[in-house]
Amino acid sequence: MDEKKLLFSARDITKSFYGTQALKGVDLDVYEGEVVGLIGENGAGKSTLLKIIIGVQPQSSGEMTMHGKPFAPSDPMEANREGIGMVFQEQSLIVNLTVGQNLFFGHEKDFSHLGFINWNKMYEESQKVLDEVNCGNINPRKKVLDLNFATRQMVEIAKVVNVTKSGHDDQKCLILLDEPTSVLSEQEVQNLFTEIRKLTAKGHSVIFVSHRLDEVLEISDRVYVYKDGQNAGNMPIAEATEEKLYAAMVGRETTTEYYHLDEQGKAEDDVVLETRDLGLSGVFKHCGIKLHKGEILGIVGVVGSGKEDICSVICGDLKPTSGEIYVKGKKVSYSSPSQALDDGILMIPKERLVEGIVRGLSVAENIALSNAEKLSEHGVVSKGKINAQADEWIDKLRIKTTGRDAELISLSGGNQQKVVFARALASGAEIIILNHPTRGVDVGAKEEIYELIRNVVAEGKSVILLGDTLDECIGMSNRVIVMKDGLITGEFDADADNKPSQVSLVSLMM
Amino acid sequence: MENVSTTKEKRDWKKTLQQNYSFLVVILMIIIFTILEPSFLNSRNVTNLLSDSAPLMIMAAGMTPVLIMGSIDLSLGSMCSAANVLMLQLMLKMQPSIENPYIIFLLAMLLTLLFGAFGGFILGAIQVKLKVPSFIASLAFMSVWDSVALLISQMPVKIPKAMKMTTNWYKIQLGPIGLPLIIAVGLTLIYHFVMTRTAFGRGIFAIGGNERAARIAGIRVDRYKITVFVLNGVCAALGAMFLLVKANSSAPTVGEAFTLMTISAVVAGGTSLVGGSGSLVKSIVGVFIISIIKNGMNMVGVNVYWQKVVYGIIVLLAVTISTDRTSRSRIVK
Repeated sequence: MDEKKLLFSARDITKSFYGTQALKGVDLDVYEGEVVGLIGENGAGKSTLLKIIIGVQPQSSGEMTMHGKPFAPSDPMEANREGIGMVFQEQSLIVNLTVGQNLFFGHEKDFSHLGFINWNKMYEESQKVLDEVNCGNINPRKKVLDLNFATRQMVEIAKVVNVTKSGHDDQKCLILLDEPTSVLSEQEVQNLFTEIRKLTAKGHSVIFVSHRLDEVLEISDRVYVYKDGQNAGNMPIAEATEEKLYAAMVGRETTTEYYHLDEQGKAEDDVVLETRDLGLSGVFKHCGIKLHKGEILGIVGVVGSGKEDICSVICGDLKPTSGEIYVKGKKVSYSSPSQALDDGILMIPKERLVEGIVRGLSVAENIALSNAEKLSEHGVVSKGKINAQADEWIDKLRIKTTGRDAELISLSGGNQQKVVFARALASGAEIIILNHPTRGVDVGAKEEIYELIRNVVAEGKSVILLGDTLDECIGMSNRVIVMKDGLITGEFDADADNKPSQVSLVSLMM
Repeated sequence: MENVSTTKEKRDWKKTLQQNYSFLVVILMIIIFTILEPSFLNSRNVTNLLSDSAPLMIMAAGMTPVLIMGSIDLSLGSMCSAANVLMLQLMLKMQPSIENPYIIFLLAMLLTLLFGAFGGFILGAIQVKLKVPSFIASLAFMSVWDSVALLISQMPVKIPKAMKMTTNWYKIQLGPIGLPLIIAVGLTLIYHFVMTRTAFGRGIFAIGGNERAARIAGIRVDRYKITVFVLNGVCAALGAMFLLVKANSSAPTVGEAFTLMTISAVVAGGTSLVGGSGSLVKSIVGVFIISIIKNGMNMVGVNVYWQKVVYGIIVLLAVTISTDRTSRSRIVK
């Protein structure tokens, strides 16, 4: 390593959003001509770090250097000038423009004369750029719309290589790839790797982020592991094995008190919800789930495993394309969440601001959102009942607010989430789907929410839990289902005294 | 600390003004027009002004929940035109077979209201089922109802002499206030009660505030949306009936001006185009603002064609004043 030149380094980078710390001080070194793998669970801080490096958002503290000089980009353009380019998780090409137009998007001036663009010249240049990354077979005059995803990915990489090299041909670049293989087939992945190796042979470097450990092991020279926004390991590829990486990603084991394990009860035998061979075309299939009375059923899996979509189907937000759902033995089919609520199923959604709360309404109104109809007498809802209900829940859940009439948006994240909880509890639903109930909530409030969930099931209600972390999901659940690529790949009992290990779950997730 | 409190007071003062500016505007308008034309405040003109505002108020009552819900209806005026000519043609058709003119009137009115409900249902259902934004869906229906009105009758038609007495109720006065306005205010207040005190009404506010959250929380979003548009259609048809009775004749373009006037009135009253907030009581004030401006401009002698310019400016002004630009919510229709 020593004889190689340091290209980029990040020291003690931290980042906090609205009080939650996404990064708690991570380091990263990249030498010229190497591929650095970066792995970690969802929310470990990988994407956050990449966004800081490319200049989409600034770090809260910490230093970065590029080419040995201090580096603090204020926007991606500045990062590009320093030789850093990124292929984003979401494809950033404009699909109704041609490949060439995309490659030189924002640089049309270089080809214009008296305000008119010389398209031929642009397409000639485009061909050169594509040749450079060995994609000469792509026609730059084709619309991106007409290309498959793998080819688009290559165009995207070509674009990044081009912008980072513009002006200084001998400048060494750093290319950031965020989950580049998720849409690629086996063969396409190999092609991508070939291209990456060509880039590194020229002295350029790559940071490669992926959920697929085998790929990381294959392409990387060194691997960094992040966990909960901190360094959890850094090893040359020769020392790394899948087991070692899993162990590093997962870290500490469950703590008993945190999840109120002593309060974990036994589920009853009655099945309140069952899915048979449930499927949503292209997302998940053959899913059979049984939820018992008084049970917390955890579902784990990486993003895109289908766990979120199963919940959307069960709560009536999406219609399944195959299979059946039974609630208390009765076959059901929902076309909207309101129908599911009639059967006592309600979801607490993941994106609180987008799906969970109504900003302009007060705390009391938000709590009454799901049960206003039940509160009404002869169609009229009395303000007194709404207020009494609000006071009851504010007291019960210790919601910190200036009053029931305060606008919900003025509360802290944890307290907003408690309001959403209060709504679910007040609705009388007996099957509550918790989609990341502790997302964006600080530690103290988290513990209160855990206690709340324990109380809910103690009353005989049932919960499906998509945890914010694996640890949380295992700690809280009576049973855990593992999903991968739309299929259930495992099921574990998780009694209080016999929790499955995270490593055994992770190996089925990836 | 002192500084903080003064800025806070300033903000509170500004907020109070933002919330209640419509009352100030009414008073200001009255003062301005009285100075320009002293006869503006004489009893005959006031009576006129008040009775003129009845059809607009009914349509504003229908439109307010549509805007609160975060939707818009650009076909309102066209629906009004179509309902207007339809009702008169129905009366003419029934004349030979039914003797009692009052029964004819009531039947024709009922069928016209049903037509309004039907139109609103189609408009709502298209948005909900085909996921077409209300702006586009209602723009399309604007064209449809305009044509329907002209297909039913191209020319203004008078109510036959034999049925004139059915329109007498429109002239009943209780002091300066006419029966039409009393009906309009009464219906608006009933709708106001529905919006503030029923699960349906609260649901409409929630949909306007965050439709996605409302749906996930189990509110019957689709049903509520369609219902609001049905009621809006009924209000448009009822407004059309008022216009028919008031003018004693039908006209296929009678509603044309009402789309913009109604939206102006609701927005001037203080209902947000972003959705999620507003009130029918505020819309009553908004209707008076528009009526005073319309009447005042006529009194002062402003060209009719210039009046539309004024309504356009009112919408922009009202939106600018009432929009909280610190929030990130944008008006997307």
